[in-house]
Amino acid sequence: MPVVDIDTDELRGLTGRTDTTDAEFEEDLFGLGLEFEGETDDGLLQFEFAPDRLDRLSVEGVARSLRYHYGDDRGVYVPETNDPEWTIEVDESVPDERPYVTGAVVRGADLDEGALESLIQLQEKLHATMGRGREKGAIGIHDLAMVKGAPLQEGSEPSITYRGVDPDGVSFVPLDANDELTPTEVLAEHDTGRTYADLVEGLDRHPAIYDELGLFSFPPVINGKRTEVTTGSRELLVELTGTDQWTIDRMCNIICYALSARGGTVEKVEVNYADGATHPSEYGAELVRPNFDTDEKAVKHDRIETLLGVDFEPEEVVDCFERAGLEASYTLDEDVTYEVEIPPYRVDVLHPLDLVDDVGRAYGFDNLEPRYPDVGTVGGRHERSRLEDAVRTSLVGLGFEDLLNFHMTSGTENYDRMRVEPGSSALGGGEPVEITEPYSEEYTQLRTWALPSLVMLLERNTHNAYPQDVAEVGFVAERDDAGDTNVAERRHVAGAVARRDASYEAAKGRLQAVCDDFGTDLETPRTEHPSFIDGRTATVVVDGDEVGVIGELHPAVLVEHDLEVPVAAFEFDLDALR
Amino acid sequence: MRLPQRQLAVLEAASATDERTIDEMATATGLKPETVVGAAFDLRDEGLLSLAERTVDTLDLTDEGRRYVDGGLPETRLYRAGLALDADESAVSMGEVIGEAGLEGPEVDIALSNFARKGLGSIDSGELRVDPDVDPDADPEAAALAALVEGDDPAADEAVLDQLDSRGLVDRAESVTRSATLTEDGVDALMTGVEATETVSELTPELLASGEWRDVEFSEYNVEADAPTARGGRKHVLRRTADRVKDVLVGMGFQEMEGPHADSDFWINDCLFMPQDHPARTHWDRFALDVDPMDRIPDELIARVEATHRDGWGVDGDGYHSPWSEEFAREVALRGHTTSLSMRYLSGIAGAELEPPQRYFSVEKVYRNDTLDPTHLLEFFQIEGWVMAEDLSVRDLMGTFEEFYRQFGITDIRFKPHYNPYTEPSFELFGEHPETGEEIEIGNSGVFREEVTGPLGVDCDVMAWGLALERLAMLTTGAEDIRDLHGTLADIDFLRNAEVSY
Repeated sequence: MPVVDIDTDELRGLTGRTDTTDAEFEEDLFGLGLEFEGETDDGLLQFEFAPDRLDRLSVEGVARSLRYHYGDDRGVYVPETNDPEWTIEVDESVPDERPYVTGAVVRGADLDEGALESLIQLQEKLHATMGRGREKGAIGIHDLAMVKGAPLQEGSEPSITYRGVDPDGVSFVPLDANDELTPTEVLAEHDTGRTYADLVEGLDRHPAIYDELGLFSFPPVINGKRTEVTTGSRELLVELTGTDQWTIDRMCNIICYALSARGGTVEKVEVNYADGATHPSEYGAELVRPNFDTDEKAVKHDRIETLLGVDFEPEEVVDCFERAGLEASYTLDEDVTYEVEIPPYRVDVLHPLDLVDDVGRAYGFDNLEPRYPDVGTVGGRHERSRLEDAVRTSLVGLGFEDLLNFHMTSGTENYDRMRVEPGSSALGGGEPVEITEPYSEEYTQLRTWALPSLVMLLERNTHNAYPQDVAEVGFVAERDDAGDTNVAERRHVAGAVARRDASYEAAKGRLQAVCDDFGTDLETPRTEHPSFIDGRTATVVVDGDEVGVIGELHPAVLVEHDLEVPVAAFEFDLDALR
Repeated sequence: MRLPQRQLAVLEAASATDERTIDEMATATGLKPETVVGAAFDLRDEGLLSLAERTVDTLDLTDEGRRYVDGGLPETRLYRAGLALDADESAVSMGEVIGEAGLEGPEVDIALSNFARKGLGSIDSGELRVDPDVDPDADPEAAALAALVEGDDPAADEAVLDQLDSRGLVDRAESVTRSATLTEDGVDALMTGVEATETVSELTPELLASGEWRDVEFSEYNVEADAPTARGGRKHVLRRTADRVKDVLVGMGFQEMEGPHADSDFWINDCLFMPQDHPARTHWDRFALDVDPMDRIPDELIARVEATHRDGWGVDGDGYHSPWSEEFAREVALRGHTTSLSMRYLSGIAGAELEPPQRYFSVEKVYRNDTLDPTHLLEFFQIEGWVMAEDLSVRDLMGTFEEFYRQFGITDIRFKPHYNPYTEPSFELFGEHPETGEEIEIGNSGVFREEVTGPLGVDCDVMAWGLALERLAMLTTGAEDIRDLHGTLADIDFLRNAEVSY
């Protein structure tokens, strides 16, 4: 879950609540769903929250939410914007993998040390969340005074260009460096470059933003040093590139709202996609950004009442909406419906239901009285679940300790240490269902049979007293290309008798008892299995079907598992007992 | 006639003419007195012995009484000290007399109260006088104590003995003395001859069949000695917790679900309205399997789910601005939650189309790539439950979960508003640890979004919740490291000794 670092002095300034203590802020923020996590080394308070309200990733957004919470602000707020002077031209050379760009100009922002740090934090947190690690959206913020706009023609507005470049054919001085580097060199030699290299590596052309003087931004990797923002910067150029126009536009809105809270005036920019460039089909090739248009959704009064289980007067609902930073109007008809206006920094409202949730939060879920629903249904266990349970009861009655082992294992444990060949016809020799990218050598596939788990457990328990009679009714799986999910999932019954006098007879006696319990007929014709001693191994045949194997474990298997007592064991398909 | 060895010994020790006490017979036979009592009762029941019981009052000196025999009663010492200081002539300060008498601590109060009771003198304004006519050597209480210490009958009034008893100087008790005399039958039996029966160590089938058990005596065991603990098999402690949960949920009207562990991402995530670029769907968190993609998913359902991801559900719905590929949806992975089962049941693919109201649950395994530590495993059991009905409210959700957790002793549930991609409103559930009283997270819940239920063809409300069974087990069993319980690292002794929960 995202974490936002808050300087409470900043919060006092931005909310105008100069007397509120840190503890009071913590309490109020808990009410908004931000949970106090701890302090940073610099004394900032850290709050964790669910990743829906990404407009709260910085102190400015948190302060805005608090002002609504306190009732100091109500309804929807949209900052004033000035008409565009700057243009972002999108060249057809832009790589297809990262086609979209957006941006804004902000003038007169008062960036002191704290505000600058907050801005950088917001940028990084947006990268991590909505930006999906900069892949979906990456933000660059520049000192506009250091950008020299290139008029497209004599007398026209200044512009910058988003284009694709030969990664070895251009060079610039990136942040935190002193030498000119090509994009390829940045990815190889620069710390930040190495971190984000996988986002652009392999592209024929690398994304780049140019002004008249040359390349000043290499999205999504790093900005140029020339346009670096400092506490002296008053005029800012914000640019975002990414794989989805809506996403970068919303990220841009959140940045602009934060800068507006710092006293900046937002000035729009034009974004012109060239004829040969990919443009966002839903918005066209010529955009004016940021787009602060509000959204509207209709919410039924009735739905609010049934979902929250509370009777409301329409005025109460409107009040709740306003305290949630929304605006609502309604007509008093038979069924009241609210037209709700949603500010452009919200990224979490996908459905009218999300607005009902906002009403619930503003009303206070704590104020709802729990009630047990007056709905009658009949309960019951699933048949297989009852069967598994009955078999466990039988096994436990025969003295077996009931086990619960992992379903994931390794080929070594499942096959090699049991002397079984993968893809063989022996029980346990089924084709493995393997994990595509295993994280550990111990868990690379699903187990094809349960006996290896039992033997592993015996291996871990050689220091404990014998006899150790263990059993498991559990999941096994193997490849099955004809199946629904292409994985054949089964339940096996496995039992092992480990003691000085463990014998085939001991295992068979117990197996016979289980079969008797379920009214089934057991036969044990002789067979061979690599895990068992020849001549002391049989196929488990239940009601005429070959369903498993029984025998004395091969000494090689015992020695492999450091066992110094004989082990007799059986394993068969649970369905045989149905 | 045959009698068990110990009865025979007692019979032979008894006499037809003299009453013999139990103690006497114990000395004569070398048996323990309680063995003799047992044998004597058995012999009486056989009519061979008659038993007489005599109840005797006994008087024993207490330690305090014994002290006064030697040093004199405190009040007498006080009297003598008064005489020595001429208090028979004029009043003397009480402190002086006490000092002279050498009385200390509680003895002072004892002396003063009994001094007054016996009229040995008078005390007024802290001054003491003694009555010159009293004879301190003729105190009946002192005389009775002196007699008792000699073992003589105190020959005192009942009132004096009561007084000594209430002063705690004597213990009065009753004791029963039993004595036995041979009856005529007893004499006859001895005359005709009695043989001792055999003592056997084991009751054998032969003894039972032949009836010989009637004539044998069983050797005595040390019944207090330790025996090796018997070990039966036991159901796994986590299975027991699961059983308990299932019991509770079935009792609350929930039906159990089942379904595949390896499933398509479609059922695991896409139906849940989890965007395909959601961080939880990256390869870091899921266990993708190297099998072919899943073909058999109804085309219409795929189309509805895709459309919902892209454009939202309903007139005012918006979709995600995230990529969506059918190929990814069909990939097979181990389920990260059993909500995939809920999706299958709600869609009707798991059985019949469901009409409200319905309640369903499962307690089944899920797979997540987490860091292994005392509270996290790669595989764990998830309790999943949902209720489908018309017009369910957040209040119904709260009421249902309060009831469920109350069954496990967890009360004062708190509902913290939360965000899940698949429910709205959503709540994290917090409750008080039944032992530590600490507030702990005990589940995640919410009402399924219409983007989830709509494409599945469900047009009423469904509220759902999930919780790790291991978390509940640790809460209710006090286990501290989940790895002791689950998997091949388990210690068989831990499983054998874990306390049974019910």
